[in-house]
Amino acid sequence: MRSSDGELGLAVARAQQGDEDAFAVAYRIVQPGLLGYLRGLVGAEAEDVASDAWLEIARDLGRFRGDGAGFRGWTATIARHRALDHLRRQKVRPRASALEQDVLDLPAARSTDDQALESLGTQYALELLATLPRDQAEAVLLRVVVGLDGPAAGRVLGKRPGAVRTAAHRGLKRLARRLDAEGVTEDGPRTLGESG
Amino acid sequence: MGEREGDSTRPDLGALLAAAVRGGETDPDARKRALAAFRDARDEGAHTAARTRRRDDWRPAGERRAWSLRATLVALAASVTLGGVAVAAIGSGAVGRDDGGERDRPRRPSSSSPADPGGPAGVGTPGASGLDRLSTAQDTESHCRAYDSGKKRGKGLDPTAWQLLVRAAGGEDEVDAYCAARSAEAKKKKNAKSAKATEKAEKAEAKESAKSSKASGSGVTKSPKAAKSAKSTKSEKNKKGGSG
Repeated sequence: MRSSDGELGLAVARAQQGDEDAFAVAYRIVQPGLLGYLRGLVGAEAEDVASDAWLEIARDLGRFRGDGAGFRGWTATIARHRALDHLRRQKVRPRASALEQDVLDLPAARSTDDQALESLGTQYALELLATLPRDQAEAVLLRVVVGLDGPAAGRVLGKRPGAVRTAAHRGLKRLARRLDAEGVTEDGPRTLGESG
Repeated sequence: MGEREGDSTRPDLGALLAAAVRGGETDPDARKRALAAFRDARDEGAHTAARTRRRDDWRPAGERRAWSLRATLVALAASVTLGGVAVAAIGSGAVGRDDGGERDRPRRPSSSSPADPGGPAGVGTPGASGLDRLSTAQDTESHCRAYDSGKKRGKGLDPTAWQLLVRAAGGEDEVDAYCAARSAEAKKKKNAKSAKATEKAEKAEAKESAKSSKASGSGVTKSPKAAKSAKSTKSEKNKKGGSG
């Protein structure tokens, strides 16, 4: 799926033989997507949860079987479990996380003429994702941010691949409409009337 | 990394989202902690001792399926091979001996073909004597068994064996009676043999208990050996599948 999957697979295999540098390579390749996924799930606590996840990944590395793409799925599953643990603990002392926050009002005034989509900031992207239903947001995160294919994303979420694909599709469509409505398009700003 | 799902709406939305969410500064301390955890686990031997659970197996589904299919095929092949030995013995006993006899007469196309019992002229061996030579007592016994079991399942004996059996019995109509007599004879022999064996064993036991246990055990040494060899091939294949 990703061009780095071949390199990742080799690094994981070498790390399983005890090569620390290879493990560092695997970390470098996987961490951005994993952290992005966790940012979507737990917001500002993502770094801490990722740290917990990596402790488990480092410890259980010998158990893993599969290639680079498989390693993405395996690590995403571990990260998700850590995130859900985290959210469960949070329920005791509630605190808004990115996905649980009901962000109805997105930061406005993004529709300046020179603002293109390339400048989509991390925070803004997360706020956009937070407007989606949870299943759609997670599907988009796994497919797009972590880079899993349908079956792998389905396995992480415990759903059929088709259901995950549909959820990701709907999520992205919804985000696109939202962006259009705000006038942030590649063609330049639009009025609300036009986008309807 | 264009996201297919986004194509219909906005080609780059997925990629843009990915770039935005994946971005941001990376904490070098987090990396150090992960590497330290890796070293600890490795030095404790956690990586080699750990067992792969179902949730750790992320090999492609096809590969996992192929693995189990291979295991099934190996098991099937083993059972067919072991079972096939018995079946093959019925038909091939005569044929094998036949081939041995034919070695010095390579021109002859197929002596076991019932349509051509005499063989080509000039070879000098009459077909009848050839067949008689082939049907030893043991062969006819096994042909009879095959004939009987074939009757029960509604299947005929293979033509060569049938031809041999008819010759031995002295006619197609005689086969039933011939085989019945044969099987009675074989039973008698077997009983006598086993009685002899028991007698022998008892005698031996009286003399030397260690020796007798060896003698009675010798009859079954073959099957565990065969099972063991079948097992070892299986595990070898499994290992292959695991590493692949």
